[in-house]
Amino acid sequence: MMAQEIRKTFHQELDQLRDDMIRLAGMVTEALAAGTAALLASDLQAAEELIAGDDEIDELALDIEEHCFRLLALQNPIASDLRQIIAAIRMASEIERSGDLVTNTMKAARRLYGTPLDPRLRGLLERMSEHVHRLFRLAIDAYADRNEGLAAALDDMDDDVDDLHADYIRTIFEVYEGGSTPLQVSVQLALVGRYYERIGDHAVNIGERVRYMCSGWLPEHTGAARLAAKRAAAVTETPEPHE
Amino acid sequence: MTLRAGFQGELDQLRLQVEVMAVRVAQNLERMEAALRTGDVAPADAALAADDDIDAMLVSLTERCYDLLAREAPVAGDLRFIVSVLRVLEELERIGDLALRVVKQSAEHALLAGRPHILERLVAMATLARDLHRTALDAWSAQDVHVAFGLLERSREMDDHYRLLVEDLLVLSGDSSARIAIVAVVMGRALGRIGDHTVIVGERLRYLLTGDPAYLASEVR
Repeated sequence: MMAQEIRKTFHQELDQLRDDMIRLAGMVTEALAAGTAALLASDLQAAEELIAGDDEIDELALDIEEHCFRLLALQNPIASDLRQIIAAIRMASEIERSGDLVTNTMKAARRLYGTPLDPRLRGLLERMSEHVHRLFRLAIDAYADRNEGLAAALDDMDDDVDDLHADYIRTIFEVYEGGSTPLQVSVQLALVGRYYERIGDHAVNIGERVRYMCSGWLPEHTGAARLAAKRAAAVTETPEPHE
Repeated sequence: MTLRAGFQGELDQLRLQVEVMAVRVAQNLERMEAALRTGDVAPADAALAADDDIDAMLVSLTERCYDLLAREAPVAGDLRFIVSVLRVLEELERIGDLALRVVKQSAEHALLAGRPHILERLVAMATLARDLHRTALDAWSAQDVHVAFGLLERSREMDDHYRLLVEDLLVLSGDSSARIAIVAVVMGRALGRIGDHTVIVGERLRYLLTGDPAYLASEVR
């Protein structure tokens, strides 16, 4: 086979990898929306279907990872191709874990079955889930469009989710103290809030991997830069020793 | 020195540096356990500073892996080693983050101390998390699949602890019950997740040493 043909096949493989990643993310995005609807409507059948559907997400995530290893082993990718493959390995686990968190939410929905939700908590859950759903969708748009600017904006957007989560936990305490919600329900609701918050974190992580894919930027640079700045400040502040 | 020997030397150095990072994470798990046991907030500052070091190691080692992949085009076992390192680094960083989350909750120690059986359960989970990580670290140091073998089994103890913790929390009554229950369940989940991540480190090692992709499925739950 001519080198040009081999290269073409390789790029077809990369396109396949990208398509699979988008399909995986689409499955989780759909599960996230359907999961919130099932939770709010106390729809047990939908919850069971989503729990069962997680196996398909897991299988595709593993296929993607193995595909990446094959590409690394057989194609000697360099520069942006290499970054695309590395980013895919790391993103697949973020997306797969988000799917697990939807499953956890569905298990909580089963435990909450038949319990009326306080309207304030219901409203906050709806808002939090809408934000997280949007964040996750934008993370995947950033990947599909190789949009580094959008990917970088996700971290700030996640602050809204964190604020809503803090409100939500405060409201759980208030509602519990008002005596209208049993402890078991309060704990389950707190966990559900945490799952949504974590899915938001995963969306931010996906955005970071997209940034790496586009330009080689690494999220860990933030922590390293903070440490370097701190050390530089410590050196400046250290008094000169007495002669 | 031949080029190949130079590359092998770089891989050996990478393995050792992952080990050093895992030791830093282990130290933070010890601080976490101490903070939970005593309510002393002093370990929190040290843990925060150590976490910055862990992040810095993650940057440097991740970049080293990317460089080796691009420069050496490794195959077979060497390729498996580098991609396994990338995944293990992520797991170690996540264990560090989760430890930090528990350390930050040590401010709630007084609240938890009012329910000693809850606090004791959390301390037992912290001890187990520390031990599991230590086992994963030993397995990595020795590159020994047999050492990693016991991790999955022992992590089930963590699941039992978490189940019993939740059972205890759901029958709490009296002042601040909801606050205690929610703080404890969040800490319990973080500790449980530390256990999960140590199992993934062990399974990644098994994949590395055996080449069997079945071990890649360990993080799939």
